[in-house]
Amino acid sequence: MIRVEKRKEPLRYQGAVAASSAVVIAFLVGCVIFAGLGVHPLTAYLAMGKGVFSSVDAFSEVLVKATPLIFTGLAVATAASMMLWNIGAEGQLVWGGICAAGTALFLFPGMDAWLVIPLVLAASALGGLVWSLIPALLKAKLKVNEILTTLLLNYVAIIYMEHLFYGPWRDPAGFGFPGTAQIPEAAHLVRFAGTRISLGFPLALLCAVFLFYLLKKSIWGYQVLVIGKEQRAARYAGFNVNGKILTVMALSGAFAGMAGMVEVCGIHYRLQTGLAVGYGYDGIIVAWLAGLNPLAVPITAILLGALFVGGEQLQSVLGLPSSISLILEGALLFGLFAGQALGGYTVTISGRSKVAS
Amino acid sequence: MSAPVISLRGLSKRFGPVWANREVDLDLYSGRVHALLGENGAGKSTLMSILAGRYSADNGTVIRHGREVSFNSPAKALDHGVGMVYQRFMLIESMTVAENLALTVGKKYGRQDVDHEIRQTAEQYGLAVDPEKRIFELSMGERQRVEIIKLLMLDAEVLIFDEPTSVLTPPEVDALFVVIDRLRSEGKTIVLITHKLEEVLKLADDISIMRRGRLVISEPIEARQMSRQQLARLMVGRDVVLRVDKKEVAVGETVLALQGFSGDSHVGGPAFTDVTFEIKKGEIFSIIGVAGNGQAGLVSAIAGLTRAEAGTITFAGTTYTAREWGMAGAREIAYVPEDRYHSGSIASMSIADNFGLTRLQAYKTGFAGMLLDREKMAADGSRAIREHNIVVESGEDRAGTLSGGNLQKVILARELTRNAKLFIAEQPTQGLDISATEDIWRVLLECREKAGVLLVTGDLKEVLSLSDRIGVIFNGRLLEVIDAHDSDQVDRVGLLMAGVRS
Repeated sequence: MIRVEKRKEPLRYQGAVAASSAVVIAFLVGCVIFAGLGVHPLTAYLAMGKGVFSSVDAFSEVLVKATPLIFTGLAVATAASMMLWNIGAEGQLVWGGICAAGTALFLFPGMDAWLVIPLVLAASALGGLVWSLIPALLKAKLKVNEILTTLLLNYVAIIYMEHLFYGPWRDPAGFGFPGTAQIPEAAHLVRFAGTRISLGFPLALLCAVFLFYLLKKSIWGYQVLVIGKEQRAARYAGFNVNGKILTVMALSGAFAGMAGMVEVCGIHYRLQTGLAVGYGYDGIIVAWLAGLNPLAVPITAILLGALFVGGEQLQSVLGLPSSISLILEGALLFGLFAGQALGGYTVTISGRSKVAS
Repeated sequence: MSAPVISLRGLSKRFGPVWANREVDLDLYSGRVHALLGENGAGKSTLMSILAGRYSADNGTVIRHGREVSFNSPAKALDHGVGMVYQRFMLIESMTVAENLALTVGKKYGRQDVDHEIRQTAEQYGLAVDPEKRIFELSMGERQRVEIIKLLMLDAEVLIFDEPTSVLTPPEVDALFVVIDRLRSEGKTIVLITHKLEEVLKLADDISIMRRGRLVISEPIEARQMSRQQLARLMVGRDVVLRVDKKEVAVGETVLALQGFSGDSHVGGPAFTDVTFEIKKGEIFSIIGVAGNGQAGLVSAIAGLTRAEAGTITFAGTTYTAREWGMAGAREIAYVPEDRYHSGSIASMSIADNFGLTRLQAYKTGFAGMLLDREKMAADGSRAIREHNIVVESGEDRAGTLSGGNLQKVILARELTRNAKLFIAEQPTQGLDISATEDIWRVLLECREKAGVLLVTGDLKEVLSLSDRIGVIFNGRLLEVIDAHDSDQVDRVGLLMAGVRS
């Protein structure tokens, strides 16, 4: 007899179980798709693996992709610690990029690197922060659902950015291509050892450590976690829930804004199409795959980065659409939530119950 | 005695590593009331849920009329004439009694005959209820009657009652006992899950006591002339004192005074109106009432969590209007809330972390008080565990893994360390077993040596054991304040709770 029953207590390693079930389910979904496209799944996965691990250069691209993902992952995790859904990391990233480019191009064009980099970073964080405060205020004052507002504001941000680099900020010497002029060299982030890995990567790691300790060691972090876990207890204890909505979303937006900065100052060196490629949404998967633990966010961001880089290999080596990696990404999230839900049950397989008296 | 109607043999059930039931043998006979006693977590409800088809046993058999049967759903159990009245009624509040019953028994009678059948069943067993009323209009006692009628219309032979008196007023309890008596004389088999000893002595023919998943005894009640103390000892496995030692404490200055205090209930239930009373240091003032008579909103407003609309409140010598009080910030009031699982504690956090919930001021450190002193919090948590005999492995255990009694002691300990002038305890022993209840009573009695205590409860025995003065709340109003030492007056409390002023 097979019985499925709800667990009385959650599994000890529920997070790890859910994360590994996500990987397994994504792997199986991939097998089905590859087989359907007439490619042996093993060949396809080997091609992906080769693309990621064949050279230092290849692997460095994984870290390049992981850098903005760490920031957006932290942004989503910050909000989700209080059970707020920030689907707007994409728009906040865009505003971070706009503020970074604007500051570097127009506010301090002639300044030294050691001064301009911190200023550009602060500007991008502020850009993301202000943008995230709009849904935060609506939530705190009018109880407007933040999932909708953060999501919809993404489109506003992206269209405004396009307006800037198609219109007033377009590079006069750019032969009509959409995009701003290149930002001054002083505002370029340092790159390491001939790769495209920039200062943004260690900065992202630092932010992860900062968020970890902020949540664990500060009064603010304690209150945020309590509100996230049991809002009635927070009200009983007299915590200012609305105030926390504002500060949590502000920090979340600041992280996402910095993702825009590392993209503009570390990769593109200008504002152009290709800044808003979905890192904000990917951050949701990064954060939940990491079980909202800031220290695990870099690991899951690298995992997702590897998936993207491997996906590009499918296209160039096997001629398969690279969007397969998007399907695998979706399967990861699906598998994660399935794993979380199923982890709450036990399955017992036993013979006919016997008299035991 | 004739053959048993239903027998359990070697029934075992595990939840993870815990044995909820372990090789239980039980016989139930027709025309008898079988009391199933035990502390919380002793496995009573699990055992009966297995019998009623809600859980399936890991091992063992159920024998009905001499044949082995297996119930894998409540419907299957009802086919065999076994039904249960749960603590939380399974009724749809916005529908009428008849509609609710049609949902479950409609198939059997057809929609047209249901009304007729309800009236007939109600009359036969003395279960007065109006089929046209909607469930939310009914009192708890009436809702319970609907549940009983439901089972009877489905021809249940074995009726299991899970803590049936916990939501009833004293007069409703008496009425229920009459109904149970009638059911017994009609040859039904009644199982009464309870931890109230008086009910057992009043009603039961047979008695079974469970302790930690095992059946300790199961026999007719005449077999031994058992006293309350004996029963209690069998339940807990050691001697318990049922009378609390109440030390004389000198009454001091007035700590809290309400004058014409009125407000909406922000927390559900009715509003409270024109409430006036005062509490002095050194006394326990009780507000007793059946749940849902405005006490929840009143307590929440006194604790400053929600804002009252009118009246004044005087705390520690300063008088505030209702609005000022609601807006003033952190206040020196300790408060043990009714909902210990979702308000008083955070299940997924450690005991140490839970110790900070209302005491963050005490743990501020570093960076202009922005950091949290986790070491001190953990140390305080560990000390509370020792001082209050809280049974856990360590302070790192998650609060959600504690039993109700241990969790309540954690919350009580935390609120005690605030050294407040006023201590509010809301339903502090609801659902707790005897030994945990006694521990908590002792703490509350100690507490009044340093503070004024406001006890809000629906448990008459608790009020009579602890209080110095008793205020009875009904329909949002404080009907009367009675001196707990005046025994003539105290007898009226039960009637007052039902809104009867004589």
